[in-house]
Parts: sequence; structure tokens; C-alpha cells
Amino acid sequence: MSHPDYEQTYHHHSTLLILVKYLGDELSTKSFNKIFDRINRINYVKFTDGGGVPRNIWARYIKDYPVGNNDWGDFQTHRRLLGLITVGKCKTQVDLNELCRKHESLKVRYNSTLYDTRCVIFGVNDGESTPSYTPPSNFKSRALYFASDGDESAGLEDQISEYISSLFWVLESKRHERSREKIDKVSLLLAPFEKKDFVGLDMESRSNKKRCVGRMTKHLGDLCLQAGLPVDALNHYQAAAETLRSINDLLWLGSACEGLSAASMCVRFPNMHKSQTVQRNTSLQETNKTKTPTSKASSSGSEILEPSSLQLPSLPHNVLSNEEICKTYRESIIHYSKYQHAGVIEVEVCFKAARVAVELNMALQAASFLQNIIFITLTLPEDEKIKKLMTLSDLYGKIGFQRKASFYQRLAATKYVSARNPQTNWDQCYNLMLQSLSGHRLSLDPSDYPAGGNNGWGRLQKQVLQDVVVAAKRVGHSSLATRHMTLLLQVMWSELSPQERHESAQQLQVIAAQCEGSPIPLILDSGLVIPPANLIHIPTAESFVVHKLRSQFQPLKLDKIKEDYGPFLFTPFKFGSLERNTTSKDKLNYLWVAEEECEVKIELTNPLQFELEVSNMRLLTTGVVFETLPLTVTLPPEVQKYVVTLTGTPKEVGELEITGYSTHTLGVKSNCRLKCLPQISHSQFTIEVVPALPYLEATLNIDSTKDQNGSTISLYAGESAECQLVLENFNKGEVELIEISSDCDPSMLSYDLSNLQSQLPMKEGAKITIPLTVFASGNFVNSYPTDTASVKSSLISGTNSFPSLTSLKPGQYDTLTTPTPSFRSGPSSLNSLTSQLTQLKLDHASKGLVECRLKVKYSGKPGIDSGYCRIATVVLNVDVSNSILISNWDVMPAETSSQFYMVLDVMNMTDQEIEVKYTASKSILIEEGEPCRVPIPVDRCPLSKIGKFFQSEDSIKEVVDLNVTCSDHIASLVEVQWEMGERKGKASLKGITLSSHMLDIVRMSPINWEIWVNDLEPNNSTPHIVSIGECIQIRIIAHNSLSRPLTDLSLSVQFFQDYRNGTCNYNLDSRLATSGPSHIHLPVVEELGSAVMECCTVFFNPGQYKMSVQCSSQGRHTWKQMPPVEFDVQDVA
Amino acid sequence: MVADEILLELLHAELVNYVCSNEPKEKEPSGQLNKHCNLSTLEYFGFSTGYKLIERFTKDWSRFKDELDTIKFICTDFWTSIYKKPIDNLRTNHQGVYVLQDRAFRFMAKISNGTQHLDAAPLYIAFTSGLLRGALANLGINSIVTAEVQSMPACKFHIQVPRNQMP
Amino acid sequence: MAVCIAIIGKENAPKYVACTEKDQELDFHYKVHSSLDIIEEKLSATSLTKGTDLREQCLGLLYATEEHKIYGYVTNTKIKIVIVIDANHTGLRDNEIRAMFRKLHGAYADAVCNPFYIPGDPITSKKFCETVHGLLVKS
Repeated sequence: MSHPDYEQTYHHHSTLLILVKYLGDELSTKSFNKIFDRINRINYVKFTDGGGVPRNIWARYIKDYPVGNNDWGDFQTHRRLLGLITVGKCKTQVDLNELCRKHESLKVRYNSTLYDTRCVIFGVNDGESTPSYTPPSNFKSRALYFASDGDESAGLEDQISEYISSLFWVLESKRHERSREKIDKVSLLLAPFEKKDFVGLDMESRSNKKRCVGRMTKHLGDLCLQAGLPVDALNHYQAAAETLRSINDLLWLGSACEGLSAASMCVRFPNMHKSQTVQRNTSLQETNKTKTPTSKASSSGSEILEPSSLQLPSLPHNVLSNEEICKTYRESIIHYSKYQHAGVIEVEVCFKAARVAVELNMALQAASFLQNIIFITLTLPEDEKIKKLMTLSDLYGKIGFQRKASFYQRLAATKYVSARNPQTNWDQCYNLMLQSLSGHRLSLDPSDYPAGGNNGWGRLQKQVLQDVVVAAKRVGHSSLATRHMTLLLQVMWSELSPQERHESAQQLQVIAAQCEGSPIPLILDSGLVIPPANLIHIPTAESFVVHKLRSQFQPLKLDKIKEDYGPFLFTPFKFGSLERNTTSKDKLNYLWVAEEECEVKIELTNPLQFELEVSNMRLLTTGVVFETLPLTVTLPPEVQKYVVTLTGTPKEVGELEITGYSTHTLGVKSNCRLKCLPQISHSQFTIEVVPALPYLEATLNIDSTKDQNGSTISLYAGESAECQLVLENFNKGEVELIEISSDCDPSMLSYDLSNLQSQLPMKEGAKITIPLTVFASGNFVNSYPTDTASVKSSLISGTNSFPSLTSLKPGQYDTLTTPTPSFRSGPSSLNSLTSQLTQLKLDHASKGLVECRLKVKYSGKPGIDSGYCRIATVVLNVDVSNSILISNWDVMPAETSSQFYMVLDVMNMTDQEIEVKYTASKSILIEEGEPCRVPIPVDRCPLSKIGKFFQSEDSIKEVVDLNVTCSDHIASLVEVQWEMGERKGKASLKGITLSSHMLDIVRMSPINWEIWVNDLEPNNSTPHIVSIGECIQIRIIAHNSLSRPLTDLSLSVQFFQDYRNGTCNYNLDSRLATSGPSHIHLPVVEELGSAVMECCTVFFNPGQYKMSVQCSSQGRHTWKQMPPVEFDVQDVA
Repeated sequence: MVADEILLELLHAELVNYVCSNEPKEKEPSGQLNKHCNLSTLEYFGFSTGYKLIERFTKDWSRFKDELDTIKFICTDFWTSIYKKPIDNLRTNHQGVYVLQDRAFRFMAKISNGTQHLDAAPLYIAFTSGLLRGALANLGINSIVTAEVQSMPACKFHIQVPRNQMP
Repeated sequence: MAVCIAIIGKENAPKYVACTEKDQELDFHYKVHSSLDIIEEKLSATSLTKGTDLREQCLGLLYATEEHKIYGYVTNTKIKIVIVIDANHTGLRDNEIRAMFRKLHGAYADAVCNPFYIPGDPITSKKFCETVHGLLVKS
């Protein structure tokens, strides 16, 4: 026997072997195969023999059978070719003759074993439609004629069935013949290679007798099994085994053991083979990894039943159990293995045993049977070896040993292309290599691999993939080779050493040079789809950052929808839970604008030792249409975190998902999805794209005559300048809305927007110029005294601090009610001024630079409809230098009660001479750094402004408010203008603070005085001319002009002599006498009511006298009647 | 008592203290043990200890027949070698839930009985819960271990093995 | 003495493979890899209930090739240890194999208890390597 039949099963022991041969050229191979299939279906005939025993007869059809195999027919009868069916087609007599001749010659070849033959001939001798010829005379077989090879040849099946039964009857008769042979007459049956061993041996010896009997008994067993009597066969085999064992006829003992196992299987599972054909056809078996009987049944359909359910209810006592079957098979293998010439038989029995073990669900047994095959040395041609390996792989697959199955698949694959194989077949090799991937935990789909590194056998996997690459290359599928190499670099990256990475990358480059790789699935001829693989590690992305638009391009919501924050400024509810819920996890909290170029920054690392050129890098997006610009970058060898910026422009409005980037490097186009990249934690980025917006650029146009430096404008405090804001539309969209705001003091920067609306909408390229007025508002008032000495002095001089005001006791207060207390302190504070000066300069100079931020909010279609706008910001720096400074101030009553004098110490803080114009007509020149005191008449603060503050002056707040009101009053009236060459400006007194006593002077008195002298109408202040001794009646009426009562009011009258040299004489007791009260106290004076005080005065000496009348309320405020009433006392002539 | 028998208890107590004191969150003002202690840290310590320990314990042990067999081993030999006494009571619903009761849990034996220190109990059972989980995980049983203390020093450990993954 | 020793993790990925002949390493990888089929089969529930002998950690001879005999051992924690013996080395008795496995198991348990070892990672312990190489044939 030349080579084993790897498909053998135990069941074949019980079949009748029939060769179906195809003759002549008329019949196409396809038709023959069809006919063969039809014949093959008729493989089972059931009889009931004379004894009433049901007989199941099986036929096995084969297309080819080596004559040498027939020689083993004595050893195992199922190896005998019992039948021959030839199939042919003919049209002419000559054809027919030829067919008949061939049939006869085949008959001769297998003559020793053939029982009967049939010759199926199409095209002749069937009815009238076909020609009728006569077969040649030497044709002694039975011919079956059919008109055509199509379905009309309906009788074929019946004929075949009849043929099987005819074979059976011959077999049955042979069996009877054999069983009737006398036990001592039996001849010795021999295996082909034994023949020479028995030459010259004494056939009559006891052991040889036994040998003959044993072998014949075994032979009978074979025949019984074929004749559908497995129970009888079992008995025969058992008897034979005992006999043969006793004489140590190991080869035949092995055969008997094998027969015993086969017969036992046939007895135990008589219906197994019916389903077997079905089972063999199901391709599911190979892919199905599970090996439990239940899943096997479910996977192959309902025809297959579990072995247990197929068992007969009553089994003969000598039938072997599952374990015994395996054991017996093992024994037979051991016996066979002793005979070198029985190698083929041994291999076959191993396969048979393995299949039985598979049927019996004994995986380990099956594995050990299969393992045994490896030890059997047979010299086989390569294609036989491949068959063997493939059968091994198939059977290993059936018991779930995927690793072994893959191993043999790979081995078979290498045999296809081994040097010894005359017909190398890389296609087959490649296909097998692909099939073997699964057993190595490899898949062609990169998404099947776990994210966190590989947990398989890296060493093997690398090799296996590498081999697939080589095979694909040899097949000539460069695209596949590229794909597999890419996969290797993608999924085996962590397993590859830097050197291997380098080599693989170079290899890929070479392969890809023939066929570029691109990320689309490849479909093989077999229908296998090979998913795309991507070079996600070359280069390696270390970070992936989606950038905001630059600030001037960022869109903003036009109208902040009033958000209801509830009564709380901060609630965790608002900031914590809700906002997080509304935004999806990967959604970015900033916006992109349609038609606006956007950026993503990626840090790339080149893991390779050579320069890597990555071309056509683009962003991969889903969602709205996105136009991405390709980028080509060359990464130096082994560079780390090389930053590249990918740009693109969204073309639509909506959500844009950025899922990764694509590369083209080493000749492979890859789509690197973020979810596949281990270093990137996000699987995608989602960003909202808002409608397109116009783009304005705002620039400042500063008058060049002034000192300017970029957007900086230098001014002296109080000076003003003009400049222009130029807005230019750089985008296609029209600007429909412009709003301008600035964050600085409106007094400092003002703009004229009157012409703005008329210029809207703004076309592309249009310009709008907006005039701006910059005023260098500075603080001219020295409100920050720099040392404690000056604090004291300013306390007296006016810049009184409020807390100390309230802490003043009434007693102390009285001492301060002397008319000119503040004046006295004036010089003293001026003295200290010079010492403060240097510090003042420093103080004020430091706050010179003011930054004004002008925001231009603008929008246009289509963004404006969705409520988005942009903001252009320009910064105007105003460098304010000091001009003049009010270092000190005080107030003085004026000649009339409606006015007072504001006395200012004006400092020239510049380094030039400055002309200060302090009233409409008066001006003064001040040298650089020099102070100068100027008086300015100011109208008093009217009661309409401050009346309300007389209510109750207890609270500091009121005092402050009063102060502020009066200060504002002064600031609004007083404007000190300065001129310095061509430049000029104005200083405001804003921020001036006033002490309580200053306040009394500054504000209009709430008391209106009416002074009657000798019942004369109160008139102008011309001196009253009285004479000595005259009793002058004085009647003083103080009208309360407030809209509320004044309480705790005291009125007093005092006479004095003014020497007009700064001193006054109040001690006039010897010069005049007053009757009536000079001092009265009134608890309350109703609103708009009045207080009246009357007295009489007699002057003793002539001279100039003055009378001051004053009124104080609650000991806090003092109001004097101004000017004092004068008396010119004349001697009585 | 021999010193080496108490070593584990002392070490465990210090472990609890250490984990508590390393807790970055602000402590409760009183000197009481912090309830907000990071129990998962302790549990993780237990897990890795159990995972490694079981490698040694089962070295000379024949393969376990099934899940119940494994749990029985945990209750008897494993428990005894750590806590010097076996689990007092094992119950199961045969659906993957096991309740292991120790009536005198060693780590709580020194805490006064009753309910007064119940709030500190989680600290003293977290390590052991992790120990159980780690031991079982290395034996191929992925489980959820919870513990319950109603009255010290008795303690019940609930082992839940999700049924979808067969052992 | 062994020509190849492999430690295989719970999920059947190798944790440590050492062999005497560097150039045959891949071959050994294949051999050990395919022995996993048999180990898995032996561990499967059906086999476990059939015979009590399989409850032992040592699985004995897994399979033999012309050159090598491959022995398997599975710990209770599903760590597989595979020893490949030269087939010509016939003098080796079963209990010697067992002794080798036990020694390896001990070494593995020690390696796992190393606080710096993360279970599941490949083993790099020096001491473990020494033990393994002590069991390999010197060539």
C-alpha cells in the first residue's frame, strides 16, 4: 500500500468498496461528478435475511483505488474492491466498443476481488430516441443504458440499489462458505508483506494451525461486519483475538483488536453513519470551537443525535465500552507499530481511533491517537504529507485543540512551498497561513486586539504574521503583503524590540513600494474580507489637542440670555450637576465657526531610527462637512513630541466630531482613530460649529502730531486729544451690527457713534472710522498726605478725617468755632508743602499709564441669526503725566453770603512754565515746580442740593454724602485751566474733601437773617449811623429756610471793633451796654418758622462798631450773618 | 499569649491607623477614628495580600473540585492559618452567594463588645474583605465581598459570585 | 533535566520562557504553546469530574514528540508550568519531574510575593531566573 487513506473511519470496516470510474471523453467531468453524487447517495440497503435478521448494508464509493491496496484485502476485507461501476457516454458503435473494452480491462485489474460490475452508458440503447448498438462480444458485464445523463435517467438509483444487493448476496454466500469451512482445513491468510516470511515454514505445526484458525476467524469477523452482522463480527473478533494473542501473532492481533473496536462501535451506534455524511458536509465543525456533545449537535443540525441516544436498548454482553474501545484501539496501534510494513495501516488506525474518540467525546484520547501519528515514519510525497497534516489539523480542530490545529495548518502550509515539493503552491500556503491565525490568537481585524497590550504568545505571533507577509508577497498580492505587514506593526508593536520595529518598518517600506496600502477592506477571491490596518505607532501620537480659535475669531453669544441664578449667587446645584449633565463628556466647551480655519495640535514621536516622512496628514471627522488641509511633515530620527498643527475649515453648522487623523507614511495610508491610540484618553472630540461670522479688524489711528508710540498716547493730566478707531471688514460676510464699549472711565474716552448706524451694513473691505476723544483725566487733588505731620496739619486745614470729626467733644468744638481757625493753619500746612513735594511727584507719576480697552462687538449674517457675534479689541494706552496739582485748599467766606472763596495752592508739576487760568479773567504764571495760591469765588452750595443733609447728622454716611455733594458742587463750578505753550488742559477739583467747618462755609446757610435796626427795614450793609447814648433797637429774625425744624438752636449777638489789622476787640463792656438778651436758646424752630431776638444797645463812645450775629444748632453748626452789621457811632454833636 | 500570635493584629491595627492618618481629607475634630477613612485603600491592601498569599497557601493542595470546594478551603485552612480559628458557619444558596460567619473575628476581639464602636467596624473588616476577594480572584473566582457587623466581635462576610461567569 | 521551562499565566499568555538552546527558542515556543491545548482539555470541567487523578496539580506527560517530552503542571491559581525534557533522557523518573515542578512552583510563589511584582506581568525576578536555570540542562 503506497499511502494511507486519511479519511478512513471505523465505519468503513462495514462497507462494500465500489470503484466508480469515468470512461471515455464524451462525458464531462461535471456530469460525471453529478452522476457520482447520485450514486453515492445510494449507499445503504436494508434487507431481512432468511433468518429474519435485519441486515444493514453499506456501500462506499471511491473514484480511484490503487491495485496495491487490494492486496491487503485478505488482511482486512473492507480493503477489497468488491464492485466496479464504470460511467461513460457514447454516440457511435466505436465509442461503445471502446467503453466496453475499458470496462473489461478495469475488471481484469481488480479481478481477484471483484464480485460483480456494472457499466453505465449514456446515449445509446435506451428507447427510440437513442441509437441502438450492440456491445462487443467480449463484453461480459452488465451494462445499464440511459438516454442521457440528466435527471431523466431515473432508473439509475434503482439499478444501483439492485447492484448493491447483488454484491451483498455474493458476499453473504462467501461468508457462508467461509464459516462452513472445516476448522482444520483453513488456509493461512497473509498480509502482503508476510508472504516471504512464511515460505518453508511448517504449516502443520500447532501454532501455525492456530494461526490459520485465528486469522480465518478474524477474516470471518470482517465478512460478518460487512454483511451487516456486527454482533456476529464481535464474537468472531473476540475469538480471533484470543487465539492470535496466544500465539503472539501481533499483526493480526492488531487487526482483530481494530475489528473488535469497529464492530463495537457499529453495534453501539448503528445509526451513526447515516448522519455522518451530513456531518462531514457541515463546514461548521471546523470553526466551532466548542466540543461538548450538545453544542456539536446543535451546530450540525437535528439529524445528528447524541451517541447515547442512538444506542440500542439491549447490547450484547461482549460489546466494548467507550473506554474499552479506545483501549483496544491503542492495543492494535501498539501491535501494528511493531511492523514497519504496516505503517500505512497504523496511520489509518490512528486516524480511525482518533475519529472514534472524537465521536465519543474523548478529546484527550483523540489527541494521543493523533500525536501517535507523528511517530510513524512513512516516506510520503509532499502532497500526501500535506493531506496528512491537514487531516491532523482538522481532527485537532474538532476536539477544540485550536493551537495544535493551527500548528499543523502552518506545517502543511510550509510543505506546500518546501524545496522538496515539485509543485510549490504559494496560494495554498497563504490560505492555510491565514487560517492558522486564529489558533495563535491572531486576527486580521485590528479591533479584535485588546487595548492594553497583547496577552498572547508574542514570539509566535510575530513569526506567524511575518510568515503570512512572506506568503502574501510570494503569492504576488503586494497589497495583501502591505496590509499584513501594517497589521504586524499595529498590533504587535509592544512585542517588537526597537530593532525589530526598525526592520519591520523598512520591510514595510519595501513592500509598500510595490503596492501602496490604504485603509479600505481587501476582499480575497475566497470572499474573505481583510479589514484595514493602520500604522498607529508610526509616528506615535503623544497628545491630541483641539484648539480654540484665536481670541479675535472666537464667537460669542450676542445677547446673554438672562440666566436665572435664583436667590443664590452660587449654588452647587447650578454649577455642579446641571451643567455637567447638559454637556456630553467629550464635548468641548468652546466653539468653532463655519468657514473659519481651525487647528488641532498633535505631538508626534518618531520611534524609528530613520527620518520619517509623513505626508497627507489630515483630520478625520464625522458630523458636519469639514474641509481638512493636508500636511506633510518630516520627522527627524527618534524625535520626541514633535508638534504638528493640522488645520481645516468646517463648511457647515452643527456638531463636528474629530475622530482621529490620517497619515501616509512608509507607503501606507492609515486612519489613526483616537480610540485606537493608547496615549490619547479621548475616543473623540465633539465641537460645536456655529454659523459663519464676519471678521472685523480694528486699528487705532492716533494723531501723529502728539507724542505717540504705537497705540500709546502721551498727555498731560487734563489735556485731551483726538484719535480715530478704524474698523475694516476682512471677511465676505456683511457686518450688520457694531457695538462699541470701553472698560475705562467714560470721562477719559468718548466716542462719537452718530454716523455709525448709517454706514451699516458694512461690505467686504469697507472701512468705518469712528472719532475718539481722549481726555487725560487725572487726580489733581492731593488727597493722600504723605506723613503724619501733614495729616495733623490737614486735619486742621480741612482734609479732616471723618472718624475724628465725630469723636470731637462739644467743648473742644467750641474752641474751634472761632471765625478763622482754618486760615491760621493755612501757612503751617504750606510750610510742610515743600517737603511733601518730591514725594508727591513720585506718587502721581507712578500712576501715569492708563490702559483703555475698546471692545467692538460686531456680527453679521449668517451668524447673527443664531445670536453669535465676535469681539475685536483694541488697546489704547494713555500715558498721563502730571500737569498741575492742587496741593492744598481751603475755603473762606466771601463778602456776600451767596458766595465763598475757594483758596487753592496750585503746584506746577511740569518742568515748564505754566499759565494757570483760574477764573474767566484771572490767570497767573507759575514757574516749574513752584506752588501758587489762588482764590476763586464760588457760589455756595444751594440748599436744594444739600437740604436733606440737615435732617439728622449723626451718621457718618450722611457726613460723607454731604461732603461728596459739596465736593461735587465745587468740582462742577471750579475749573482751573492751564496752558503750556500750545498745549492746554483743565484741572478739575474732583475728589476734594471738606471738613465740617469748611462745609458750613461752602453750603448756603439755612438761616435767613433779617436784622431790624431801629425798626428800619433791613437793607444793605451800609453802616448804620447812630449817636452816643442813643438806644438802638435791634431786632433779629432768623428764618429757617429748611423744610424741617431746627432743634436746639441758639442765637447770639456780639459786638466788636475791627481794627482792620487782623485783630478785633471783643471786650467792649466799657464802650457799650446792651439790654435784653444777647444770647437766647430755642429748643426748636419749626420748618419755615423763625426765631426772633430783640435787644437794645447803647454805645458810650464813638467809633466804628460791628455786630456779628450767629446762630448755632445742636452745637455743631454755626451760621453767621454776613457781612456783620456795622455801626458808625458818632459823638452827639 | 505568645508574641508572634499577636503580631498580625498589631500590624493590622497600625495599618488601619496609618491609612487613616494618611487620609488627606480633614479629620473629624475629636480624636475619634475617622469614619471617612479611605476604606478602599485598606481593601486594596487586603486584595493584593490575599492574591499573593493564596499562591503560597495552595501550593501543596490538590485542585479544587468546584466553587464550593474552594470556599470551603477558604473557610477552614485559609482562615485558620491567618486568624487561628476556622469560620464558624458557612451558608450558601448554591447560586453564588456565600455567607461566612466568624463569631469572634480576631481583628475585633480586642474592641469592647456590643455596639458602642460599631462606627469603627468598617475599618477593621475592610482589609479582610479584600483578603477574601484577592484570594478568590487568584483562584479564578471573581467576586464581590461585603461584610456586616451587628455586634462585635461577630462578623459576617458575604461573598457574591456573579453567575454569568462560570467558575 | 529540562531543556525548556515555561510559566504561563491565567490567560494562557507566557510569563516566562527559558530554554537551553537560544536558536531553538521559537521551536520551544511552538511546543509549549500547543501543549496548552492538552492542559486546557485536562482542566476542563468534564475531565475534572471523570478522574480523581486529575485533581493533582501535576498533569504529568502532556505529549511527546520524537525529540521531546512535555510535562505540564497547573497551580490552583491556574498558572501553568511546562517542562520540556529531551526524549533521549530516559532515566528521568516521574517523581523527579514532580520535584522539579514543585521547586518551580515554590520559586513562582516567592516571585509573586515580591511586593514589586504586579501579578500578570512577565516575571523578571533574578532569583526566579536562577532557580529556572538551575533546572535547565547545561549545554
